[in-house]
Amino acid sequence: MGKYTRGQSHVHPAWRWVSDRGLRVPTGEATLACYGTLVSQDFPEVEDIIPADDSLLLVLRRGECVSAELAAMLTSPPADAPVSSGRLLEIAVEYGGRAGPDLPVVADLAGIDPAAYIKRHSDADYKVAFLGFQPGFPYLRGLPDVLRTPRRASPRVRVAAGSVAVGGVYTGIYPAAGPGGWHIIGRTAAVLFDPQRDAPALMKPGDRVRFVPQ
Amino acid sequence: MIEVLRAGLCDLVMDQGRPGRGGLGVPRGGAADPAALAAANRLAGNDATAAGLEITLQGPTLRFPRGGVVALTGARFAAVRSSGVTVAWNETLVLAAGETLRLDHAQTGCRCWLAVRGGLAVPQLLGSGSTFLPAGFGGLEGRALQAGDRLALGTGAGDMHLLRAHPPSSEADAPLRVVAGPQVDLFDDAGLAAFFGGRYQVGAASDRRGLRLSGPAVTHAKADLPSQGVLPGAVQIPPDGQPIILGWDGPVTGGYPVVAGVVTADWPRLAQLRPGDRVRFATIAREAARELAAAQWEIGDIA
Repeated sequence: MGKYTRGQSHVHPAWRWVSDRGLRVPTGEATLACYGTLVSQDFPEVEDIIPADDSLLLVLRRGECVSAELAAMLTSPPADAPVSSGRLLEIAVEYGGRAGPDLPVVADLAGIDPAAYIKRHSDADYKVAFLGFQPGFPYLRGLPDVLRTPRRASPRVRVAAGSVAVGGVYTGIYPAAGPGGWHIIGRTAAVLFDPQRDAPALMKPGDRVRFVPQ
Repeated sequence: MIEVLRAGLCDLVMDQGRPGRGGLGVPRGGAADPAALAAANRLAGNDATAAGLEITLQGPTLRFPRGGVVALTGARFAAVRSSGVTVAWNETLVLAAGETLRLDHAQTGCRCWLAVRGGLAVPQLLGSGSTFLPAGFGGLEGRALQAGDRLALGTGAGDMHLLRAHPPSSEADAPLRVVAGPQVDLFDDAGLAAFFGGRYQVGAASDRRGLRLSGPAVTHAKADLPSQGVLPGAVQIPPDGQPIILGWDGPVTGGYPVVAGVVTADWPRLAQLRPGDRVRFATIAREAARELAAAQWEIGDIA
């Protein structure tokens, strides 16, 4: 670590520690740009980078400090950093019915009929903001305002793998069966996460996504 | 090869975990006390990174048809060899062909680690052989051991020595040291007084995803928080005010406010908490926490 100064942390007042190794950095609109830059530059003090809603969590290696170089990048992210991967993924979805039991509920909340809900959901252009909750679970931004829905009052004990769901400002897809608190509007046969694949997660932050009704 | 004659409560193949996959939604996972597993590996003649077993509260009965060299570290379990001899902890054990190792309940603490010379041969997924139960991958078919399982062994061990390890000392009753969390400002004085003054009991629903505590409610201003990145040790406060300490297999993002984070140096203590145990918290500054050295396992020849 010779070129990095130990014992001196370059921490901005707006950054917050989560234990001794997690550093929450509010990155706002620059979240994907900062994430892309961090992934490509490989700062030696960083063990992991977790993008989320307008912030990044940097997990530092044990005993490490934030170097001046890292702090500089986080305070003034490169203006030319790509905020999109340039990939567009089309996801075939079976909406409604047993595949999407909550479609009537969310359509009702939106004040439109289920067919109109499907059209609005599948006309929109989404972008992967981050992956979380489960391996490969994409939080997709771009849900039309009218389709926004609070989470279910009580989570389902079991949601099928591939379930397409809406929760708050996001739409997402459950990669694996398990409990889930979002409203389920459809299902895809796409495999969102497979640890045996070279790229285990189907989607990555910055990808564009469209849903195609089947 | 090892035959599982009887499975324990939750016997999981673990190694040092899969760091650097948070962006995929995959936590680091791995042994709850990585240094304890690494020490067991050294006693068994392996690299620190070899896969072994993490055994929780109630252990398995294992048979070694061709014998083997093993070592146990961590919480002491009631355990006997087929000869009736009590199993020693923290030292190299040489098992004869056909010998069994019967692990019963944990006498104190919660988890122990078993390393076997050669290491457990499991597929490497995302750079690790560790079991990740929440998504059902890694280790042995992504699950805990079952009676009838056969565990293949690797061949990568070095020279064999009879070694003994001295675990680092730990003050079980000391408060867990925490650094104030990112949303500490959301909590009112009463909430913070409850958290830092209270004693909390570890709940029965605790597992590797999180330790669920019950005790004085930690009140806070209700806020619609955006999802943020989290890591093991983060203390989340859900709406009912009962803290959850995120564990090794916890989610990488969360929407509950984080009042504090347990420092890395105290994670091995989290690994030994069991339902019914009581904990309290004390803050230290982040810089002071960073200076806390990793606990040292001393390993030497058996004289």
